[in-house]
Amino acid sequence: MTEPVTTMPSPFRMDYTYVAGTGRTAFLRGLSERRLIARRCADCGQVYLPPPEFCSRCLTELEAPFELDGRGVISTFCVVNFPFPGQRIDPPYVVAHIQPHGAGTRPMHLVREVKPGQVHIGMEVEPVWVADDDLDTSLLSIRHFRPAPEGGADA
Amino acid sequence: MRDVAVVAFAQSPCQAANRRDDMAGILLPVIREAVDAAGIGRDEIDFVASGSHDFYEGRTFSYIDSLDAVGAWPPISESHVESDAAWALAEAWSWLQLGEGDIALVYGIGRGSLPADLDQVMPAQLDPYFLAPLAPHRDAIAGLQAHAAIGAGLTSEQGMAEVVSRCLASALDNPHAQRSERVDVARLLDAPYVSSPLREHDVAPIGDAAAVVVLAADDAARRLAERPAWLRGVDHRMDTHYPGVRDLTESLSTRRAASRAAEFAGFLPSDVDVAELHTEYSHQEAILAAALGLNGAELNASGGPLAGRPVTATGLIRIGEAARRIFDGRADRALAHATNGQALQQNLVCLLEGEG
Amino acid sequence: MSRRVAVTGIGQGTQAKRREVSIGAMVREAVTEAMADAELSFADIDAVVLSKTPDLFDGVMNPELYLADAMGAVGLPVTRVFTGGSVGGHAAIYGAHLVQAGLAERVLVVAYSKESEGNFTWALSRGLPFSAPLGAGAGGHFAPVIREYIQRSNAPEHIGWQVAVNHRLNATRNPYAHVHRPDITVEEVRDSRMLWDPIRYLESCPSSDGSCAIVVTAEEHAGQTPAWIHGTAWRTETGHFAGRDEVNPQAGRECAADAYRQAGIDSPAAQVDVAELYIPYSWYEPIWLENIGLAEEGSGWKLVDDGRTAFDGDLPVNPSGGVLSGNPTGATGLLRFAEAALQVRGLAGEHQVDGARRAIGHAMGGASQFHALWVVGSDKPGASR
Repeated sequence: MTEPVTTMPSPFRMDYTYVAGTGRTAFLRGLSERRLIARRCADCGQVYLPPPEFCSRCLTELEAPFELDGRGVISTFCVVNFPFPGQRIDPPYVVAHIQPHGAGTRPMHLVREVKPGQVHIGMEVEPVWVADDDLDTSLLSIRHFRPAPEGGADA
Repeated sequence: MRDVAVVAFAQSPCQAANRRDDMAGILLPVIREAVDAAGIGRDEIDFVASGSHDFYEGRTFSYIDSLDAVGAWPPISESHVESDAAWALAEAWSWLQLGEGDIALVYGIGRGSLPADLDQVMPAQLDPYFLAPLAPHRDAIAGLQAHAAIGAGLTSEQGMAEVVSRCLASALDNPHAQRSERVDVARLLDAPYVSSPLREHDVAPIGDAAAVVVLAADDAARRLAERPAWLRGVDHRMDTHYPGVRDLTESLSTRRAASRAAEFAGFLPSDVDVAELHTEYSHQEAILAAALGLNGAELNASGGPLAGRPVTATGLIRIGEAARRIFDGRADRALAHATNGQALQQNLVCLLEGEG
Repeated sequence: MSRRVAVTGIGQGTQAKRREVSIGAMVREAVTEAMADAELSFADIDAVVLSKTPDLFDGVMNPELYLADAMGAVGLPVTRVFTGGSVGGHAAIYGAHLVQAGLAERVLVVAYSKESEGNFTWALSRGLPFSAPLGAGAGGHFAPVIREYIQRSNAPEHIGWQVAVNHRLNATRNPYAHVHRPDITVEEVRDSRMLWDPIRYLESCPSSDGSCAIVVTAEEHAGQTPAWIHGTAWRTETGHFAGRDEVNPQAGRECAADAYRQAGIDSPAAQVDVAELYIPYSWYEPIWLENIGLAEEGSGWKLVDDGRTAFDGDLPVNPSGGVLSGNPTGATGLLRFAEAALQVRGLAGEHQVDGARRAIGHAMGGASQFHALWVVGSDKPGASR
């Protein structure tokens, strides 16, 4: 009896173009200039960061873009504790939902410059940007967030 | 059975590549146009169904982005098919038969321009063990089918060029067409082959677009449209997968779907005035016309897919175009066809009718 | 919705890394078993619905095409449903709709995943081209939500460990389950590796190959041991909007409420005997118990703490072992729906809950955006109890 064939190689390679869209393009351009662009929905008052073109609750076009400084609070987080493919930094590291002051969305980002055990929900954080030469149309223009001095938040 | 009709249809222009808008950005204006045409508010929509495919988008769960254009808040009753949105329309039609709601919105978003090379992608649609590893290029199996169709006397290279010439001329009246021109058959026949006997113009030009159809039942349909396009019969059928074990010159599944749709409708494909066929290749028109038993119907008066094929929206656009001809009184009875898979493996048939 | 509908056939394939079968053969295992259970041949089937998670996971585009023959679907209407992880539930409900609407007498609903044949990491890395590649990983999405739940409810940390133990012990009664750990203890879960704090290794689902199929029929063909469908619902909400609550999503609440209304249930915890819920990480047991109204908000964890959701409790959750014991993603939702039906048919074998007459099958997907739920029962809907 011959051994059963249990695997066969069938490699695919697929390359794609991804289209950011107009709303996301403005946001990504802003990141390359160290600016965090938000927009408000005139109907429900919610502020989106990053802002799409329109509010996904109300379907109305968002108002003119304005800047936020990116300071906010950790609304929740996890600590990635183990290695797996695709990681850029060595574990453990903190991935958090950060609610920027003045925004209703909770973008995800890394929280560093603090021991994971000291991170807590409600912690005040601020963005740390990459060096000028590394700025790009990507959320990676923010290297990570770090604890910010308490009381320095926006009014 | 409840009477269900298409009451509005809208689509974005078929573009070879839309590099400006994301999924929701393409879709939102089209939804607005269709919903406005029906004269309804978003909160009047009872059910939403859609079609798209991750392999065209190049990422997983891609359709989630499109929901941002639907406004799924408060939460909605919703479903999605990972294929042409014509199958989403079939699902919406059956949902409306439950009697739990009167209005459904169906959308298709198809972006064929995102893959850098469809030859990398399309083999994945075949048996992963015996066919995909051979990596036939995107038009290879259609070429086999075209050759078989010519061999069976269903068409000829001349006949295929005539189909293309007619469709591209019809598309001059279609503002959404991706390709349209008046071109004579002799010039078409001078072009080189891409997959013999197929020339470039025999292959529906792939691109990006969204399409939206609003369906309504009974009185709601009469209220929302002056002349609703009643979906008298809808059915779809599957053929075996392997191109080598089916007769590529016959579309059994189209025949079956048409026969079942006709049972619902009480009239036959041979009774329709216009037919919109999801011809991804020119030679498929002859195969489909034979399977459907069409008799004198005007074919692909919109230009059909040979004038623009936004992948998973193409079949839904056929239904919308057929309905449009009923809305404006150009037709009393119409047929729309959609397909999924290579060499017409899966087929859907709708029979539509206007009243009075 | 006047027509009564029942599940009359259920089949599933072993959940594991299935290197000895092709995709088609693995799907066929479940289909053959479901057809035999329903005592039907393919000629009796009017339509097929296929549930599958992203095609990129196992590298086959539009698998309904290749699987047409394996599913016995040649000549039939085939619909390929896809709504994220809830897809198996959506497929079951669509199958039921086709019968309710009078468009079919008997529908075969099929689901599978064979991720071991694809490149999962590659597929998931295609996720969101414009988000930062943070290296959060599969559980990195759920872990922050769990932390938020724990914060809100003040639940003690052993709840997650206990759920993991309950489900793994249940799985020892289910021959199809991927994970079998008869000796598992709370201490072992507690001491297992922390992956995405607060999620530990033994609190996480595996990645499995597997398949499931069910036959849904009209009342006239219901046979001797049907699971009657008393209520079905699905709800979707967008994932991105500002101000969204992902711990207790409104779509999940409304989905359950709609299904209960159809089933005539006004006190779910008292009127449901057993629940098969989509719990990929242990903390999702209290989260979903609250979300679908089986527990008061903030107190789902107390049901776990009091042993009420264990196999011998008054509301057993996932007697099959659930997602924590086997997770063929495309089939995971349908498995929950099918296991609920097995319970009320009295055919769940070793993991049969005594006296189960009404059960819930539940599935969810995306960032808790897609929800599907059905209520099945031993009694014919509308019949006097």
